[in-house]
Amino acid sequence: MTWDTIIVNPFTNLLLLIYKMIGGNFGIAIILFTILIRLITHPLMASQIKSSTKMTEFQQSKQWQDIQKKYKDDKEKLAQEQMSLYKELGISPFASCLPSLVQIPIIFALYQSIMRSLAATPAQLLILTRAIYPFLHLGDLAPLNSKFLWMNLGQPERVYMFGIGIPVLAIIVAITTYVQSKVTMPASANPNDQGAMMNKMMVLYMPLLLGYFALTFASGLSVYFIAGNLVGIAQYALLGKVNWRALIPGQKPATNALARKK
Amino acid sequence: MKTKYIFLIGVLLILGTVLSGCASGLTASSWPGVTADANNAYIAGGPYVYAVNLQTGAEAWRYPAKAATSTPFYATPVLTPDGQLIVSSFDHKLYSLDPKTGAEKWRFEQAKDRWIGGALVTNDTIYAPNADYNLYALTLAGALKWVSPFQADQAIWGSPVTDGTNVYFGTLGRHVYAVNVQTGKQAWVQTVTGAVIGSPVLGTNNTLYVGSYGGVLVSLNTNNGEILKQEKTSSWIWSGPAQDGTNVYVGDASGMFYAFPMTGSGQPWTQQLNGAIVGSPLVSGTTIVAGTETGNIYFMENTGKNVRPVAVAGKIYATPALATTPAGTLILVAPTSGNNLLVALGLNGATQWSFTPAK
Repeated sequence: MTWDTIIVNPFTNLLLLIYKMIGGNFGIAIILFTILIRLITHPLMASQIKSSTKMTEFQQSKQWQDIQKKYKDDKEKLAQEQMSLYKELGISPFASCLPSLVQIPIIFALYQSIMRSLAATPAQLLILTRAIYPFLHLGDLAPLNSKFLWMNLGQPERVYMFGIGIPVLAIIVAITTYVQSKVTMPASANPNDQGAMMNKMMVLYMPLLLGYFALTFASGLSVYFIAGNLVGIAQYALLGKVNWRALIPGQKPATNALARKK
Repeated sequence: MKTKYIFLIGVLLILGTVLSGCASGLTASSWPGVTADANNAYIAGGPYVYAVNLQTGAEAWRYPAKAATSTPFYATPVLTPDGQLIVSSFDHKLYSLDPKTGAEKWRFEQAKDRWIGGALVTNDTIYAPNADYNLYALTLAGALKWVSPFQADQAIWGSPVTDGTNVYFGTLGRHVYAVNVQTGKQAWVQTVTGAVIGSPVLGTNNTLYVGSYGGVLVSLNTNNGEILKQEKTSSWIWSGPAQDGTNVYVGDASGMFYAFPMTGSGQPWTQQLNGAIVGSPLVSGTTIVAGTETGNIYFMENTGKNVRPVAVAGKIYATPALATTPAGTLILVAPTSGNNLLVALGLNGATQWSFTPAK
């Protein structure tokens, strides 16, 4: 049993099934597929957000800040106090990480199934054909129609104006990634603490990283990134955890905004 | 808290690595294409195009001098009547090389996507199919004559064929097109069951044969595209068929090899081979040669009798090529994932030499 057999192939077949059901539009199939997988994994995400919120509240609590001050020169004691406080408040330090951990293989499989389905070269098409379950009778669907709006989903996207190729999708990917990171970033009482600084770095680097992928790789991946970002924002919004004020320039996000909305 | 952010950074790094790794695997993935003249075999073998001496199996030259990962060559190279070797690359460029030295003569850079199928060369024109949905016609000097004035419905992966009036090709979008040789204007288009990945083959009496991914060998009238006959196969057909004037030969993914008579009087036959048949069959007189994914080359008579497998290390996806030397006829086989890039077999199946490029 391999990674492909257990995860990627079922995802690929599901994606192709959606493609078939909607009449052969692969762009729409990617969007619907992303929404479906996000809906299925929504409980995991909700649990992660809940744990993160709890942790943020803990970080900002007076009790914890007092303990930090009290044991600032005794790291061992500080760690012991932190653990006992976690126990007392019912916080698991890994509760916010574990759902992410579970989601990572799903995200990879989602990405791999999209790229596999695009099959832009002979070897990839051969692999795709072998991945399709015979009983689904999807063999006659391959290769997929990779045209979507103005794009060839198997190629990096550019819109040519006056002879210059503008990477419209890569720009949208960077913007939506930035917006998602910004509005879902947990607020911190102390902007100089390590966590807050790390969050700021993520807000800056994630759009650049995903924008670079969108610029370089097949545009089907960009459609997935954009759909994933928008669905992600919608999921946070549904849970009342979106901080739109963070988008206003010069506006400091309200401290403990997430906690207040809870 | 610290653990959480170390974890997040780790995820970011893994994400970057995995996405980069997966995507880079997409850029160059096919199998070699082979052709030959009286002196050399020419292999489009990934980072290089190699010329291999037919007598000795030694490398004569390679192009380019230094490999670039962005310039992989896989499409079958084609020789022109005026002494050029046309090679197509995944880097969107078509190159003309000197077959004697490997020196570049010209390159054509106007296509927008990969050149997956080899070109068709006539006395004065190069017809080159591109994955950007267009067929390009060039002079033998590499100047654009025309690009098809319409876009095909999907990518063109198979080499076209011509009868002097029209050029015929299939697309991944399940269509077969005929375009005028002089203008590139569409003469007709016909829908078939399944994608057409390989090259069509012309038969007698204005008939065109096309293998389809839908598991059908389709016969079309070259005058108007009308479907004359459809022969079902057990599984999908990747490459184009071959014909010898009596039968049309084609293999499918289940390993079933078929001979369909070109006229009503013949008898069809089949042979179950071991492994999927991806490359086109090769016809050499009364001998038919077909390769399979399990690394066997099958020699059989055109009656379907005397089937002789010859094991070659690796998977056989590429269509074998025929070479005629003073010492006799050679069958050139380019295995994938084997030790050798090229193996030369005699018509009796005996290995004459094998070629592994020096690093």
